[in-house]
Amino acid sequence: MHFVLDANEYIFALGLFKKASCESLIQHFTENMPLHSISICRTIVEEVRSNLAPKDFHKFVKFVNLFNPIGEDFLVPFELGSKYEFIGFKPADAFIAAYAEWVGADALISENRHFLAKNPTLPFKIINAENCLKLMQASLQ
Amino acid sequence: MKNKTAEAKKLWNELRESISKKPSPFEGMSEEEVIKQLRKTRKKLWEKKLALRP
Repeated sequence: MHFVLDANEYIFALGLFKKASCESLIQHFTENMPLHSISICRTIVEEVRSNLAPKDFHKFVKFVNLFNPIGEDFLVPFELGSKYEFIGFKPADAFIAAYAEWVGADALISENRHFLAKNPTLPFKIINAENCLKLMQASLQ
Repeated sequence: MKNKTAEAKKLWNELRESISKKPSPFEGMSEEEVIKQLRKTRKKLWEKKLALRP
């Protein structure tokens, strides 16, 4: 399966604010690398950066690049972002949703209830870390 | 792939260890407060990005 993780997932998993489900999720992705794919865009990287020391940020970039190269924001078609703004997403959230659609993600993982409350008819699921772990366990059975 | 997994594990563990030694910018906040703070950061970064567009 292919996932996009919101900045809060990385921040929680790194222990900046402890949340066990987010920690388990990244651990699962790391240990089962060929099984699942993670994409990350520049905007999310920059959000994580604003909470890390420069040396830690350097390591974070090295870590995420092991999954996929960082996606540059300008590559995402503008119209896709507009589509999500039109259905009620805030501009930056609309961009993240557009990015998830553009990379063909199966799910966008976020702990942000503003995301989680959105329309269920999107081309990808929006779920939190706990439900993502359940989904992946179910796909293995 | 085995090497990549090992490298990812190593980097992630080093990162978490390094972060655990520093004070968190979210010390004393609830999850909801942290999310709110992150939303503010997102808005600020987004506005900065838009301002830089030609």
